[in-house]
Amino acid sequence: MMVSWGHVLLAGAWGGIVALERKAFLQAMLSRPLVAATVMGLLLGDVESGLKVGMLLELFHLGAANLGASLPENDTLSATGTAAAAAAMAEATGAGSTEALWSVAILLFIALGRLGRQADRKLEGYSTRLAAKARSIAEEGDVNRAVRQNLWGMWPHLVVYGLATASCALAGYALGPLLDGLPLGVARGLAWSYPAMASVAAAIAARGSHARRAAFWASLGALTVALGWTALRLRGDA
Amino acid sequence: MSGGLPMSVLVRVFMRSLFLQASWNPQGMQNLGLAYAVFPALEKLYPEPEARRAAVRRHLVFFNTHPYVAAAIVGGVLFHEQRISRGEETPDKVVSFKAALMGPLAALGDGFFWLSLRPAVGAICAGLVPVLEEWSAVLFLVLYNLVHFSLRARLYWVGLSLGDRLVEAVARAKLPARGARLRAVAAASAGGLAAYLAADFGANAGGASAPLLAVGCLALGAASYVLVSRRVPNYVVLYVAAALACAAGAFL
Repeated sequence: MMVSWGHVLLAGAWGGIVALERKAFLQAMLSRPLVAATVMGLLLGDVESGLKVGMLLELFHLGAANLGASLPENDTLSATGTAAAAAAMAEATGAGSTEALWSVAILLFIALGRLGRQADRKLEGYSTRLAAKARSIAEEGDVNRAVRQNLWGMWPHLVVYGLATASCALAGYALGPLLDGLPLGVARGLAWSYPAMASVAAAIAARGSHARRAAFWASLGALTVALGWTALRLRGDA
Repeated sequence: MSGGLPMSVLVRVFMRSLFLQASWNPQGMQNLGLAYAVFPALEKLYPEPEARRAAVRRHLVFFNTHPYVAAAIVGGVLFHEQRISRGEETPDKVVSFKAALMGPLAALGDGFFWLSLRPAVGAICAGLVPVLEEWSAVLFLVLYNLVHFSLRARLYWVGLSLGDRLVEAVARAKLPARGARLRAVAAASAGGLAAYLAADFGANAGGASAPLLAVGCLALGAASYVLVSRRVPNYVVLYVAAALACAAGAFL
Protein backbone atom coordinates (compact mmCIF):
# COMPACT_ATOMS: atom_id res chain seq x y z
CA MET A 1 0.00 0.00 0.00
CA MET A 2 1.44 3.34 -1.10
CA VAL A 3 0.90 6.00 1.60
CA SER A 4 1.89 9.66 1.51
CA TRP A 5 2.46 10.26 5.22
CA GLY A 6 2.75 14.00 4.69
CA HIS A 7 -0.79 14.00 3.31
CA VAL A 8 -2.04 11.88 6.21
CA LEU A 9 -0.55 14.42 8.63
CA LEU A 10 -2.06 17.34 6.72
CA ALA A 11 -5.45 15.63 6.69
CA GLY A 12 -5.25 15.11 10.46
CA ALA A 13 -4.16 18.68 11.12
CA TRP A 14 -6.93 20.23 9.02
CA GLY A 15 -9.54 17.81 10.40
CA GLY A 16 -8.56 18.78 13.95
CA ILE A 17 -8.50 22.52 13.27
CA VAL A 18 -11.93 22.67 11.68
CA ALA A 19 -13.40 20.47 14.42
CA LEU A 20 -12.13 23.07 16.87
CA GLU A 21 -13.54 25.91 14.80
CA ARG A 22 -16.92 24.20 14.53
CA LYS A 23 -17.58 23.85 18.22
CA ALA A 24 -15.10 25.68 20.39
CA PHE A 25 -13.75 28.78 18.67
CA LEU A 26 -14.89 31.44 16.20
CA GLN A 27 -17.51 29.54 14.20
CA ALA A 28 -16.76 31.46 11.03
CA MET A 29 -17.93 28.43 9.01
CA LEU A 30 -14.51 27.12 7.99
CA SER A 31 -15.99 23.88 9.25
CA ARG A 32 -18.92 23.81 6.80
CA PRO A 33 -18.68 20.84 4.41
CA LEU A 34 -18.25 23.00 1.30
CA VAL A 35 -15.30 24.87 2.79
CA ALA A 36 -13.72 22.16 4.94
CA ALA A 37 -13.81 19.51 2.21
CA THR A 38 -12.58 21.86 -0.53
CA VAL A 39 -9.59 22.93 1.58
CA MET A 40 -8.94 19.27 2.42
CA GLY A 41 -8.82 18.50 -1.29
CA LEU A 42 -6.51 21.45 -1.86
CA LEU A 43 -4.14 20.28 0.88
CA LEU A 44 -4.05 16.73 -0.45
CA GLY A 45 -3.50 17.85 -4.03
CA ASP A 46 -6.97 16.94 -5.33
CA VAL A 47 -9.15 20.01 -5.07
CA GLU A 48 -11.82 18.61 -7.39
CA SER A 49 -12.54 15.62 -5.14
CA GLY A 50 -12.79 17.94 -2.13
CA LEU A 51 -15.05 20.38 -3.93
CA LYS A 52 -17.47 17.80 -5.32
CA VAL A 53 -17.67 15.88 -2.05
CA GLY A 54 -18.07 19.17 -0.16
CA MET A 55 -20.87 20.41 -2.42
CA LEU A 56 -22.88 17.23 -1.99
CA LEU A 57 -22.38 17.09 1.78
CA GLU A 58 -23.16 20.81 2.17
CA LEU A 59 -26.55 20.11 0.62
CA PHE A 60 -27.08 16.88 2.54
CA HIS A 61 -26.44 18.55 5.91
CA LEU A 62 -27.94 21.95 5.04
CA GLY A 63 -30.90 21.75 7.42
CA ALA A 64 -29.00 20.50 10.47
CA ALA A 65 -28.54 22.97 13.32
CA ASN A 66 -27.19 22.97 16.84
CA LEU A 67 -30.19 24.27 18.77
CA GLY A 68 -29.89 24.54 22.56
CA ALA A 69 -28.58 21.33 24.03
CA SER A 70 -29.47 19.21 20.98
CA LEU A 71 -26.62 17.76 18.97
CA PRO A 72 -26.88 17.48 15.21
CA GLU A 73 -24.72 15.07 13.20
CA ASN A 74 -21.11 16.14 12.95
CA ASP A 75 -21.22 17.43 9.37
CA THR A 76 -17.59 18.57 9.60
CA LEU A 77 -16.20 15.12 10.36
CA SER A 78 -18.40 13.69 7.63
CA ALA A 79 -16.94 16.23 5.15
CA THR A 80 -13.28 16.15 6.16
CA GLY A 81 -13.22 12.35 6.49
CA THR A 82 -14.95 11.77 3.14
CA ALA A 83 -12.83 14.34 1.30
CA ALA A 84 -9.60 12.98 2.80
CA ALA A 85 -10.57 9.43 1.81
CA ALA A 86 -11.57 10.50 -1.71
CA ALA A 87 -8.32 12.40 -2.29
CA ALA A 88 -6.23 9.54 -0.89
CA MET A 89 -8.08 7.01 -3.07
CA ALA A 90 -7.46 9.13 -6.14
CA GLU A 91 -3.77 9.34 -5.29
CA ALA A 92 -3.54 5.61 -4.61
CA THR A 93 -5.22 4.60 -7.89
CA GLY A 94 -3.06 7.02 -9.85
CA ALA A 95 -5.98 7.51 -12.24
CA GLY A 96 -7.02 10.85 -10.76
CA SER A 97 -10.34 12.08 -9.53
CA THR A 98 -13.50 10.45 -10.92
CA GLU A 99 -17.21 10.48 -10.16
CA ALA A 100 -17.11 6.75 -9.34
CA LEU A 101 -14.45 7.40 -6.75
CA TRP A 102 -16.44 10.25 -5.13
CA SER A 103 -19.45 7.94 -4.95
CA VAL A 104 -17.46 5.23 -3.17
CA ALA A 105 -16.03 7.75 -0.70
CA ILE A 106 -19.45 9.24 0.02
CA LEU A 107 -21.20 5.90 0.40
CA LEU A 108 -18.51 4.62 2.77
CA PHE A 109 -17.77 7.72 4.85
CA ILE A 110 -20.87 9.94 4.94
CA ALA A 111 -22.12 8.15 8.07
CA LEU A 112 -19.14 9.54 9.98
CA GLY A 113 -21.51 12.39 10.86
CA ARG A 114 -23.36 10.01 13.16
CA LEU A 115 -20.19 8.70 14.77
CA GLY A 116 -19.09 12.29 15.24
CA ARG A 117 -22.28 13.10 17.09
CA GLN A 118 -21.59 10.27 19.53
CA ALA A 119 -18.04 11.50 20.01
CA ASP A 120 -19.34 15.05 20.63
CA ARG A 121 -21.60 13.69 23.36
CA LYS A 122 -18.70 11.86 25.01
CA LEU A 123 -16.51 14.97 24.92
CA GLU A 124 -19.19 16.92 26.79
CA GLY A 125 -18.38 14.79 29.84
CA TYR A 126 -14.84 16.15 29.84
CA SER A 127 -16.11 19.74 29.59
CA THR A 128 -18.49 19.13 32.50
CA ARG A 129 -15.57 18.05 34.65
CA LEU A 130 -13.63 21.15 33.58
CA ALA A 131 -16.52 23.44 34.59
CA ALA A 132 -16.74 21.73 37.99
CA LYS A 133 -12.99 22.10 38.43
CA ALA A 134 -13.21 25.81 37.50
CA ARG A 135 -15.89 26.36 40.12
CA SER A 136 -13.82 24.67 42.81
CA ILE A 137 -10.70 26.65 41.86
CA ALA A 138 -12.76 29.86 41.99
CA GLU A 139 -13.97 28.90 45.49
CA GLU A 140 -10.33 28.50 46.53
CA GLY A 141 -9.73 32.05 45.31
CA ASP A 142 -7.63 31.69 42.13
CA VAL A 143 -10.18 33.14 39.71
CA ASN A 144 -7.65 33.76 36.94
CA ARG A 145 -6.79 30.05 36.81
CA ALA A 146 -10.46 29.16 37.15
CA VAL A 147 -11.56 31.01 34.02
CA ARG A 148 -8.57 29.72 32.04
CA GLN A 149 -9.99 26.19 32.40
CA ASN A 150 -12.22 27.24 29.51
CA LEU A 151 -9.36 26.86 27.04
CA TRP A 152 -8.65 23.27 28.12
CA GLY A 153 -11.99 22.30 26.63
CA MET A 154 -10.55 22.66 23.14
CA TRP A 155 -7.76 20.13 22.90
CA PRO A 156 -9.90 16.95 22.87
CA HIS A 157 -11.70 18.17 19.73
CA LEU A 158 -8.39 18.87 18.02
CA VAL A 159 -6.92 15.47 18.90
CA VAL A 160 -9.95 13.20 18.51
CA TYR A 161 -11.13 14.60 15.18
CA GLY A 162 -7.59 15.06 13.89
CA LEU A 163 -6.90 11.36 14.48
CA ALA A 164 -10.25 10.36 12.99
CA THR A 165 -9.62 12.35 9.81
CA ALA A 166 -6.07 11.03 9.46
CA SER A 167 -7.52 7.50 9.76
CA CYS A 168 -9.91 8.25 6.91
CA ALA A 169 -7.00 9.33 4.71
CA LEU A 170 -5.22 6.07 5.57
CA ALA A 171 -8.37 4.10 4.77
CA GLY A 172 -8.48 5.89 1.42
CA TYR A 173 -4.95 4.75 0.60
CA ALA A 174 -5.93 1.17 1.51
CA LEU A 175 -9.13 1.23 -0.55
CA GLY A 176 -7.67 2.89 -3.65
CA PRO A 177 -6.00 -0.20 -5.19
CA LEU A 178 -9.21 -2.22 -4.69
CA LEU A 179 -11.11 0.20 -6.95
CA ASP A 180 -8.83 -0.64 -9.87
CA GLY A 181 -10.27 -4.14 -9.91
CA LEU A 182 -13.90 -3.09 -10.26
CA PRO A 183 -15.70 -4.38 -13.39
CA LEU A 184 -16.38 -1.64 -15.95
CA GLY A 185 -20.16 -1.86 -15.51
CA VAL A 186 -19.92 -1.32 -11.76
CA ALA A 187 -17.53 1.60 -12.24
CA ARG A 188 -20.00 3.15 -14.71
CA GLY A 189 -22.86 2.56 -12.26
CA LEU A 190 -20.91 4.23 -9.48
CA ALA A 191 -20.20 7.16 -11.80
CA TRP A 192 -23.95 7.54 -12.34
CA SER A 193 -24.54 7.36 -8.60
CA TYR A 194 -22.76 10.66 -7.96
CA PRO A 195 -25.18 12.94 -9.88
CA ALA A 196 -28.10 10.91 -8.53
CA MET A 197 -26.91 11.41 -4.95
CA ALA A 198 -26.22 15.10 -5.61
CA SER A 199 -29.73 15.50 -6.95
CA VAL A 200 -31.13 13.77 -3.86
CA ALA A 201 -28.95 15.95 -1.61
CA ALA A 202 -30.29 19.08 -3.34
CA ALA A 203 -33.84 17.88 -2.70
CA ILE A 204 -32.96 17.19 0.95
CA ALA A 205 -31.48 20.72 1.11
CA ALA A 206 -34.66 22.27 -0.26
CA ARG A 207 -36.61 20.37 2.38
CA GLY A 208 -34.06 21.34 5.06
CA SER A 209 -34.14 25.03 4.15
CA HIS A 210 -36.93 25.53 6.74
CA ALA A 211 -38.67 27.81 4.23
CA ARG A 212 -42.43 28.16 4.27
CA ARG A 213 -43.64 26.81 0.93
CA ALA A 214 -40.21 25.26 0.33
CA ALA A 215 -41.62 23.03 -2.43
CA PHE A 216 -42.88 26.09 -4.30
CA TRP A 217 -39.56 27.93 -4.06
CA ALA A 218 -37.56 24.83 -5.01
CA SER A 219 -39.80 24.19 -8.02
CA LEU A 220 -39.45 27.82 -9.06
CA GLY A 221 -35.66 27.57 -8.85
CA ALA A 222 -35.64 24.29 -10.77
CA LEU A 223 -37.96 25.64 -13.48
CA THR A 224 -35.88 28.80 -13.92
CA VAL A 225 -32.66 26.84 -14.31
CA ALA A 226 -34.25 24.25 -16.61
CA LEU A 227 -35.62 26.98 -18.90
CA GLY A 228 -32.31 28.86 -18.86
CA TRP A 229 -30.40 25.66 -19.64
CA THR A 230 -32.73 24.75 -22.51
CA ALA A 231 -32.56 28.28 -23.96
CA LEU A 232 -28.76 28.23 -23.86
CA ARG A 233 -28.63 24.80 -25.55
CA LEU A 234 -31.05 25.89 -28.27
CA ARG A 235 -29.02 29.04 -28.91
CA GLY A 236 -25.87 26.91 -29.06
CA ASP A 237 -27.47 24.53 -31.59
CA ALA A 238 -28.79 27.39 -33.76
CA MET B 1 -13.03 54.44 27.10
CA SER B 2 -16.53 53.17 28.00
CA GLY B 3 -17.44 54.45 31.45
CA GLY B 4 -14.06 53.49 32.89
CA LEU B 5 -13.04 50.50 30.77
CA PRO B 6 -10.21 51.24 28.31
CA MET B 7 -10.63 50.29 24.65
CA SER B 8 -7.88 47.65 24.97
CA VAL B 9 -9.95 45.81 27.60
CA LEU B 10 -13.11 46.07 25.50
CA VAL B 11 -11.27 44.58 22.52
CA ARG B 12 -9.81 41.80 24.69
CA VAL B 13 -13.24 40.90 26.00
CA PHE B 14 -14.65 40.79 22.48
CA MET B 15 -11.79 38.58 21.26
CA ARG B 16 -12.17 36.25 24.24
CA SER B 17 -15.91 36.02 23.59
CA LEU B 18 -14.98 34.11 20.40
CA PHE B 19 -14.03 31.24 22.77
CA LEU B 20 -17.47 31.26 24.40
CA GLN B 21 -18.14 27.60 23.62
CA ALA B 22 -14.64 26.23 24.22
CA SER B 23 -15.82 24.18 27.19
CA TRP B 24 -19.54 23.93 26.48
CA ASN B 25 -21.04 21.42 28.89
CA PRO B 26 -24.55 20.11 29.56
CA GLN B 27 -24.74 21.52 33.11
CA GLY B 28 -23.51 25.10 32.90
CA MET B 29 -23.42 25.21 29.07
CA GLN B 30 -21.50 28.44 28.21
CA ASN B 31 -20.90 29.49 31.82
CA LEU B 32 -17.15 28.99 31.82
CA GLY B 33 -16.86 30.63 28.40
CA LEU B 34 -18.71 33.73 29.59
CA ALA B 35 -16.60 34.03 32.74
CA TYR B 36 -13.47 33.65 30.60
CA ALA B 37 -14.66 36.34 28.17
CA VAL B 38 -15.52 39.04 30.71
CA PHE B 39 -12.60 38.34 33.07
CA PRO B 40 -10.29 41.13 31.76
CA ALA B 41 -13.04 43.67 32.49
CA LEU B 42 -13.71 42.22 35.96
CA GLU B 43 -9.99 42.39 36.72
CA LYS B 44 -10.00 46.07 35.85
CA LEU B 45 -13.26 46.94 37.60
CA TYR B 46 -12.57 45.05 40.85
CA PRO B 47 -9.00 45.54 42.08
CA GLU B 48 -10.02 44.06 45.47
CA PRO B 49 -9.55 40.24 45.33
CA GLU B 50 -12.74 39.45 47.25
CA ALA B 51 -14.95 41.65 45.04
CA ARG B 52 -13.31 40.16 41.94
CA ARG B 53 -13.93 36.60 43.18
CA ALA B 54 -17.59 37.43 43.81
CA ALA B 55 -17.89 38.94 40.33
CA VAL B 56 -16.37 35.85 38.67
CA ARG B 57 -18.60 33.53 40.71
CA ARG B 58 -21.77 35.28 39.52
CA HIS B 59 -20.76 34.51 35.94
CA LEU B 60 -20.00 30.84 36.60
CA VAL B 61 -23.70 30.05 36.89
CA PHE B 62 -25.74 28.52 34.05
CA PHE B 63 -25.59 30.50 30.83
CA ASN B 64 -26.60 29.57 27.31
CA THR B 65 -27.52 31.53 24.23
CA HIS B 66 -26.62 31.70 20.55
CA PRO B 67 -22.83 32.15 20.31
CA TYR B 68 -23.03 35.17 17.98
CA VAL B 69 -25.79 37.15 19.68
CA ALA B 70 -24.08 36.36 22.99
CA ALA B 71 -21.93 39.37 22.01
CA ALA B 72 -24.88 41.59 22.96
CA ILE B 73 -25.11 39.96 26.39
CA VAL B 74 -21.34 40.14 26.90
CA GLY B 75 -21.53 43.87 26.12
CA GLY B 76 -24.53 44.22 28.44
CA VAL B 77 -22.69 42.39 31.23
CA LEU B 78 -19.88 44.97 30.98
CA PHE B 79 -22.47 47.77 31.03
CA HIS B 80 -23.95 46.40 34.27
CA GLU B 81 -20.65 45.45 35.89
CA GLN B 82 -19.39 49.00 35.44
CA ARG B 83 -22.49 50.32 37.21
CA ILE B 84 -22.13 47.70 39.96
CA SER B 85 -18.46 48.61 40.49
CA ARG B 86 -19.49 52.26 40.88
CA GLY B 87 -22.16 51.33 43.41
CA GLU B 88 -25.04 52.41 41.15
CA GLU B 89 -26.57 48.92 40.96
CA THR B 90 -26.76 45.77 43.03
CA PRO B 91 -25.08 42.60 41.66
CA ASP B 92 -28.43 40.85 41.15
CA LYS B 93 -29.14 43.25 38.25
CA VAL B 94 -26.53 41.65 35.99
CA VAL B 95 -27.70 38.16 36.92
CA SER B 96 -31.33 38.97 36.05
CA PHE B 97 -30.20 40.77 32.87
CA LYS B 98 -28.52 37.59 31.62
CA ALA B 99 -31.38 35.34 32.70
CA ALA B 100 -33.97 37.52 31.00
CA LEU B 101 -32.17 37.88 27.67
CA MET B 102 -30.36 34.61 26.99
CA GLY B 103 -33.50 32.67 25.99
CA PRO B 104 -35.09 35.21 23.61
CA LEU B 105 -31.74 36.09 22.03
CA ALA B 106 -30.94 32.40 21.56
CA ALA B 107 -34.21 31.92 19.69
CA LEU B 108 -33.50 34.98 17.56
CA GLY B 109 -29.92 33.93 16.76
CA ASP B 110 -30.84 30.31 16.04
CA GLY B 111 -33.66 31.40 13.74
CA PHE B 112 -31.59 33.91 11.81
CA PHE B 113 -28.08 32.47 11.68
CA TRP B 114 -28.49 28.68 11.94
CA LEU B 115 -31.83 28.25 10.19
CA SER B 116 -31.72 31.08 7.64
CA LEU B 117 -28.39 32.72 6.82
CA ARG B 118 -26.28 29.56 6.88
CA PRO B 119 -28.65 27.44 4.74
CA ALA B 120 -29.12 30.34 2.30
CA VAL B 121 -25.41 31.03 1.85
CA GLY B 122 -24.69 27.27 1.74
CA ALA B 123 -27.32 26.60 -0.93
CA ILE B 124 -26.33 29.63 -3.04
CA CYS B 125 -22.63 28.75 -2.96
CA ALA B 126 -23.25 25.04 -3.57
CA GLY B 127 -25.40 26.13 -6.51
CA LEU B 128 -22.50 28.20 -7.84
CA VAL B 129 -19.98 25.33 -7.71
CA PRO B 130 -20.49 24.48 -11.41
CA VAL B 131 -19.61 28.11 -12.29
CA LEU B 132 -17.13 29.25 -9.67
CA GLU B 133 -15.63 25.87 -8.75
CA GLU B 134 -13.39 26.17 -5.65
CA TRP B 135 -14.00 29.92 -5.43
CA SER B 136 -17.54 29.10 -4.30
CA ALA B 137 -16.00 28.04 -0.95
CA VAL B 138 -14.27 31.42 -0.71
CA LEU B 139 -17.52 33.17 -1.59
CA PHE B 140 -19.26 31.20 1.17
CA LEU B 141 -16.79 32.50 3.76
CA VAL B 142 -16.97 36.09 2.50
CA LEU B 143 -20.77 36.30 2.25
CA TYR B 144 -21.44 34.61 5.55
CA ASN B 145 -18.81 36.38 7.58
CA LEU B 146 -19.67 39.83 6.26
CA VAL B 147 -23.00 39.44 8.01
CA HIS B 148 -21.68 37.38 10.92
CA PHE B 149 -18.81 39.60 12.05
CA SER B 150 -20.51 42.92 11.37
CA LEU B 151 -23.59 41.86 13.38
CA ARG B 152 -21.47 40.33 16.14
CA ALA B 153 -19.41 43.50 16.57
CA ARG B 154 -22.49 45.72 16.36
CA LEU B 155 -24.39 43.67 18.93
CA TYR B 156 -21.43 43.86 21.32
CA TRP B 157 -21.36 47.63 21.00
CA VAL B 158 -25.15 47.90 21.40
CA GLY B 159 -25.04 45.84 24.61
CA LEU B 160 -22.12 47.85 25.92
CA SER B 161 -23.72 51.22 25.31
CA LEU B 162 -27.42 50.47 25.91
CA GLY B 163 -27.54 47.71 28.54
CA ASP B 164 -31.14 46.49 28.91
CA ARG B 165 -32.33 48.77 26.11
CA LEU B 166 -30.46 46.60 23.60
CA VAL B 167 -33.71 44.66 23.10
CA GLU B 168 -35.25 47.61 21.21
CA ALA B 169 -32.15 47.96 19.03
CA VAL B 170 -32.15 44.23 18.23
CA ALA B 171 -35.88 44.33 17.42
CA ARG B 172 -35.25 47.13 14.92
CA ALA B 173 -32.93 44.83 12.93
CA LYS B 174 -36.03 42.79 11.86
CA LEU B 175 -34.05 39.55 11.80
CA PRO B 176 -37.08 37.19 11.69
CA ALA B 177 -38.48 38.83 8.52
CA ARG B 178 -35.07 38.81 6.85
CA GLY B 179 -34.62 35.19 7.88
CA ALA B 180 -37.85 34.15 6.18
CA ARG B 181 -36.67 35.68 2.90
CA LEU B 182 -33.30 33.95 3.20
CA ARG B 183 -34.97 30.58 3.73
CA ALA B 184 -36.93 31.01 0.49
CA VAL B 185 -33.66 31.84 -1.30
CA ALA B 186 -32.12 28.64 0.12
CA ALA B 187 -34.98 26.49 -1.17
CA ALA B 188 -34.93 28.13 -4.63
CA SER B 189 -31.13 27.72 -4.92
CA ALA B 190 -31.33 24.05 -3.96
CA GLY B 191 -34.09 23.46 -6.51
CA GLY B 192 -32.10 25.27 -9.18
CA LEU B 193 -29.03 23.19 -8.46
CA ALA B 194 -31.05 19.96 -8.64
CA ALA B 195 -32.25 20.95 -12.12
CA TYR B 196 -28.74 21.89 -13.24
CA LEU B 197 -27.26 18.61 -11.98
CA ALA B 198 -29.96 16.61 -13.77
CA ALA B 199 -29.49 18.48 -17.05
CA ASP B 200 -25.72 18.27 -16.83
CA PHE B 201 -25.84 14.55 -16.08
CA GLY B 202 -28.13 13.93 -19.05
CA ALA B 203 -25.88 15.93 -21.37
CA ASN B 204 -22.70 14.17 -20.23
CA ALA B 205 -23.91 10.58 -19.93
CA GLY B 206 -26.89 10.29 -22.19
CA GLY B 207 -26.05 10.65 -25.85
CA ALA B 208 -29.34 10.11 -27.67
CA SER B 209 -31.22 9.40 -24.46
CA ALA B 210 -29.96 12.57 -22.71
CA PRO B 211 -33.40 14.13 -22.15
CA LEU B 212 -34.69 10.86 -20.65
CA LEU B 213 -31.76 10.58 -18.23
CA ALA B 214 -32.03 14.24 -17.23
CA VAL B 215 -35.75 13.89 -16.53
CA GLY B 216 -35.10 10.66 -14.62
CA CYS B 217 -32.49 12.35 -12.44
CA LEU B 218 -34.81 15.30 -11.77
CA ALA B 219 -37.67 12.91 -10.96
CA LEU B 220 -35.37 11.16 -8.48
CA GLY B 221 -34.80 14.53 -6.77
CA ALA B 222 -38.53 15.29 -6.68
CA ALA B 223 -39.31 11.82 -5.29
CA SER B 224 -36.60 12.32 -2.66
CA TYR B 225 -38.23 15.57 -1.58
CA VAL B 226 -41.55 13.79 -1.08
CA LEU B 227 -39.95 10.88 0.79
CA VAL B 228 -37.98 13.14 3.12
CA SER B 229 -41.13 15.19 3.75
CA ARG B 230 -42.79 11.94 4.84
CA ARG B 231 -39.99 11.39 7.35
CA VAL B 232 -38.11 8.69 5.46
CA PRO B 233 -34.54 9.03 6.80
CA ASN B 234 -32.18 11.05 4.59
CA TYR B 235 -29.62 8.24 4.58
CA VAL B 236 -32.14 5.69 3.33
CA VAL B 237 -33.18 7.98 0.47
CA LEU B 238 -29.55 8.66 -0.46
CA TYR B 239 -28.48 5.01 -0.46
CA VAL B 240 -31.55 3.83 -2.38
CA ALA B 241 -30.97 6.52 -5.02
CA ALA B 242 -27.32 5.52 -5.30
CA ALA B 243 -28.26 1.85 -5.67
CA LEU B 244 -30.85 2.62 -8.37
CA ALA B 245 -28.45 4.83 -10.31
CA CYS B 246 -25.67 2.27 -9.95
CA ALA B 247 -27.91 -0.48 -11.32
CA ALA B 248 -29.04 1.77 -14.16
CA GLY B 249 -25.49 2.74 -15.03
CA ALA B 250 -24.31 -0.86 -14.95
CA PHE B 251 -27.07 -2.41 -17.03
CA LEU B 252 -28.46 0.30 -19.36
